[in-house]
Amino acid sequence: MMGPNDPKPSIKIENGKVTEMDQKPAKDFDLIDLYIAKYGIKLENAEKVMAMDSTKIANMLCDPNVGRDDIIALTTAMTPAKAEEVISKLNFAEMIMATQKMRPRRTPATQCHVTNIRDNPVQIAADAADAALRGFPEQETTTAVARYAPLNAISLLVGAQTGRPGVISQCSVEEAAELNLGMRGFTGYAETISVYGTDKVFTDGDDTPWSKGFLASCYASRGLKMRFTSGSGSEVMMGYTEGKSMLYLESRCIFITKASGVQGLQNGGVSCIGIPGSVPGGIRSVLGENLLCMMLDLECASANDQAFSHSDMRRTERLLGQFIAGTDYISSGYSSTPNYDNTFAGSNTDGLDYDDYYVMERDLAINGGIHPVTEDAIIKVRNKAAKALQAVFEDLGLPKITDEEVEAATYANTSKDMPDRNMVEDMKAAQDLMDRGITAVDVVKALYNHGFKDVAQAVLDLQKQKVCGDFLQTSAIFDENWNVISAVNDANDYRGPGTGYRLEEDTDEWERIKNIPFAIDPQHMQL
Amino acid sequence: MSEIDDLVAKIVQQIGDNGSASTTASQSATTTNEKELKRNDYPLYSKHPELVRSPSGKALKDITLDNVINNNIKSNDLRITPDTLRLQGEVASDAGRDAIQRNFKRAAELTSIPDARLLEMYNALRPYRSTKAELLAISSELKDKYNAPVNAGWFAEAADYYESRKKLKGDN
Repeated sequence: MMGPNDPKPSIKIENGKVTEMDQKPAKDFDLIDLYIAKYGIKLENAEKVMAMDSTKIANMLCDPNVGRDDIIALTTAMTPAKAEEVISKLNFAEMIMATQKMRPRRTPATQCHVTNIRDNPVQIAADAADAALRGFPEQETTTAVARYAPLNAISLLVGAQTGRPGVISQCSVEEAAELNLGMRGFTGYAETISVYGTDKVFTDGDDTPWSKGFLASCYASRGLKMRFTSGSGSEVMMGYTEGKSMLYLESRCIFITKASGVQGLQNGGVSCIGIPGSVPGGIRSVLGENLLCMMLDLECASANDQAFSHSDMRRTERLLGQFIAGTDYISSGYSSTPNYDNTFAGSNTDGLDYDDYYVMERDLAINGGIHPVTEDAIIKVRNKAAKALQAVFEDLGLPKITDEEVEAATYANTSKDMPDRNMVEDMKAAQDLMDRGITAVDVVKALYNHGFKDVAQAVLDLQKQKVCGDFLQTSAIFDENWNVISAVNDANDYRGPGTGYRLEEDTDEWERIKNIPFAIDPQHMQL
Repeated sequence: MSEIDDLVAKIVQQIGDNGSASTTASQSATTTNEKELKRNDYPLYSKHPELVRSPSGKALKDITLDNVINNNIKSNDLRITPDTLRLQGEVASDAGRDAIQRNFKRAAELTSIPDARLLEMYNALRPYRSTKAELLAISSELKDKYNAPVNAGWFAEAADYYESRKKLKGDN
């Protein structure tokens, strides 16, 4: 943050148009500058806000007596360099205070990854059901082999709705392919719509702000939730930083997101975390970029995804800012499988960390977005999801899922525990399924035809929500009855002690968190 | 701190003013609905299900398993309509998120474009894919064939900037 080559904050407005932004005259604007200047800043108050002392605005950010709305009136009238300057005034603890207030949704949550290195569909379904039961309201998969995408998306959809109706799922693949899966109803949302802070990297990412803004509208036109993705370090990794600091470039990404009218952003290093994670103050800056996202009133999926260290202490260090403050999605995502099977290159926390994570929630009385479940319940739901997917495959004429596979998926730790599948046949079938024009409606019918009426209903309910569009609003998730919970009807109202989300007032969740299955009652100890 | 307090008060006041101004403006443009929705009208699913229809005019309550099994509800019924996007845009605007409303206005125009054509349009807008004439042709198509003036403007604007910032076909 505050790199020596970063521009000083400035704005000049003539006849309602920006003629200078962050020391650059309009004639030198690249596409990103043009886009932000036209769509990304509320100009009415911009000159006044730009003249304010950044330290004072930073102070307001972490002062509980200043309301969230009052801050957003200021932050949405700033330039990217000004926002960076404000963030740079805050230390780590102040960022946590500010994040607690600026998170758009009152109730915190978290997101998971569900993948395996052999793209085994039965295992994806079982793992998705498992993760859904633990409380992840959003689930993300991707592929080891790209051609598997439709199968992975369907497996995740069926598994997640078996585990808990109301979970929404996505399949992270190439932009146009991802939209196609959504149009067919196989996914409920999308997240890996990447934006970058320099023109050259944006172009290398094969988009422009205008194509990304258009893509955002394409998603909304099909009733699909979406957020953009960015993160410190991406411009470094892709080789064109223009000599600017990571936070300044990230600030530009956040303003591009705002300008596009997208409801949210996944940011915080994300898959480039190794770069900010390796420089002094880097992890502080990463929390700063999450905060910057939230202070522009955007949903924030705050990364804590790709692993950057094998040190257990540093993994916890990476997590703790977002964990303590609470964000819309503390991780995006938490690997629901052991990292062995994580095809996003491994996550900061994985399935083997569940027990420690639960204890952290319990010890600190913090809702980290998930809760313990009993082994019996997990086995039952994994088995049901595997059987439901078996039925769907049979009905859609996809390669057979054997009873042996169902049994293995019910108890599998990783894909090492799964029987081999004929992957060539699976890939052919995936392509064929797309060619035949199969949609979520066919999945609903398949489930219904084989007696999985409740899962069929849940898959249909998701499609129904796309007709209704409530989950296109900021920070939207669903509870198990498809009640939407977003920044519109669950707006963060934190104003200091006694206000905002309080775990002890969310009594059901607090009971679940307290009730860790491996706690031993001293009354029942035997010598 | 007093100058900040004053500024905040002023900004909040101004935002209030702007809010009511835009309400009046779009109210006159609205024909199907007398009153714009407010954030308290959300969620539509539970508070205003009567306002939500499928593209073929089916009500939310008609989207049932039985109707899917009997083929009374098909895949293209399970889509959002321009009207619903407009209502969600009103909710977003009332919650202070004008940019989201603008996105939903663009989206509303895109609902009638077939999936395959929409994907082609997106790909045409990616860098180095199209000539200026090709982008302007899509702009005309959006305006004339799909009655999508906002998106037509979007493509025309991109065509201009891609020319001056060297993102047209052959510029790489």
